[in-house]
Amino acid sequence: MRTIKLPDSVELPTLLDPFDQQEPSGPDATGIYDFYRNLAEGDLTTTKCKDCGKLNFPPVIVCPNCLSDNLEWVRIPEVGELYAFSVMALGVPAIIDGYAPFVVAIARFGNYPDEGIQISGIIFDSKYEELKIGDKVKWEIVEIQGPGEKKRYWYCFRKI
Amino acid sequence: MRNVAIVAAGITKFGVREASWKDLVQEAGKAVFDDCPNLDRKDIDSLFVGAAQPERWVYQTHVAPLVAELLGIDVRRVIARTEIACASGQAAIRYAWLSIATGLSDVALVLGVEKMNTKFMPLSQTCMVNVGNREFDGPNGFTAPPFFAMVAQRHMHNYGTTKEQLALVRVKNAKYGAMNPYAQFQKEVSVEKVLGSRMISPPLTLLDCSAMTDGAAAVILASEEKAKELTDTPVWILGGAQSVLHSHTVNQFGELSEWLGLRKAAKEFYSLTGLSPDKIDFAEVHDCFTISEIIEYEELGFCKKGEGGKFIEEGDSYIGGKIAVNPGGGLLSNGHPLGATGIRQAWEVVMQFRGEVPKDRYVDGAKVAMTHNLSGMAQLHHIMGYSTEKPKEIKFGR
Repeated sequence: MRTIKLPDSVELPTLLDPFDQQEPSGPDATGIYDFYRNLAEGDLTTTKCKDCGKLNFPPVIVCPNCLSDNLEWVRIPEVGELYAFSVMALGVPAIIDGYAPFVVAIARFGNYPDEGIQISGIIFDSKYEELKIGDKVKWEIVEIQGPGEKKRYWYCFRKI
Repeated sequence: MRNVAIVAAGITKFGVREASWKDLVQEAGKAVFDDCPNLDRKDIDSLFVGAAQPERWVYQTHVAPLVAELLGIDVRRVIARTEIACASGQAAIRYAWLSIATGLSDVALVLGVEKMNTKFMPLSQTCMVNVGNREFDGPNGFTAPPFFAMVAQRHMHNYGTTKEQLALVRVKNAKYGAMNPYAQFQKEVSVEKVLGSRMISPPLTLLDCSAMTDGAAAVILASEEKAKELTDTPVWILGGAQSVLHSHTVNQFGELSEWLGLRKAAKEFYSLTGLSPDKIDFAEVHDCFTISEIIEYEELGFCKKGEGGKFIEEGDSYIGGKIAVNPGGGLLSNGHPLGATGIRQAWEVVMQFRGEVPKDRYVDGAKVAMTHNLSGMAQLHHIMGYSTEKPKEIKFGR
């Protein structure tokens, strides 16, 4: 009988890897690659429209507010305020399942909504019970190691 | 514009089913055709399939023609699959309605289906992350439970809503779900049981959340002329509204306890249909979490902003209260197969209007109903109105 041999294992499917845009030479090369390069250099940044002044998040190549493509990269203020938080325990995305349970939060940086942003982020170093709305938090950079030799970067929040 | 009616409805048992995606399509399809003995399947000229993520959960794409094959339908006017995550089902009804109202279609099958329980649940759960902004909120584990938990936290912070009030939503919907043989969960629960169930994302416990569900539901829509041939109990479509306020990522949402998109959709819906909350006999709303239903009371105008907790506490959303909400048990009891939910809500309206539901969850004499279906992190809202009485005119816009 003819047989067909399937591979012993398959690579991490793209579906389970939300960081794949960080590889600029790959099929997911993106016009906002500077966001990832800045993360690797220690900065959380986003785009600001030089025409209407709107701070965008996520970063974009065209301003959704005025459709200008005249954008600049700006650093997100390092200290913000905890707006809301909960815990992720079950149904965690596969790639970060090993860290569960963890606190997931929304924090506001700058003067939201006019001149600031609200973004989601994980808080690894505080328990849910130790947090309250209005706490000062700062963003910090996280190194994502693997699969294999890969090094990529993200951010998280820390209570200060 | 022509009047459009639902002439038949069918549903599968919802739950963790030992049934494939295709099995579910065939079960719901057979049920809806069995409900419409006067219909020759050759009269169906259009097909709309609500399906959120068949590509990921069952690895199947190009699903609308597959449904046509499985149910032996030849389409000659319009065939489409709608994907708007959790609201894919109501979207399918909306587009079928538009197609018939404008005269493009005469009879359309609308079928919603989802198979969410798979062999590898981490993959299934990750599919839910991708409903949000995958590269930005995704890496932070931002699925529906923590998001709606934060919505609840903000609502409690701003308006003093309590965990007990959240639990009361589940108590009500479990009561009606216990009388719904198609529901995933058919057991009554107490406030203590809700509060004491496993913590998912504080303040939400397991029983504050709807489930990952397999299921399908279907309705047949027809023009006024065709509806007369097909049924004596048409359910007329009064109109509907959809909204999304350039919002997908958390940054665009603003204050989590204020659902401005729903407020806008409700205003549009009432303006187009001439309805107001006091003219609606019951509402099937999107209680993906207990907090959702509380905010929906407020934004749909059933009570003042911030008083949703009090509304359930005083029993105003029970049958016999100010407005019966989720007499079918809601998503909390039925489960939430994304593509099927909006159509399950329409199925419930049909069964209520016909009086084909158990006495204790029957809204006696109901003539006007509303369905509300949201998607994602509550960025998008659909509302539709239904009546036993034919509307004088249909308004698509002012």
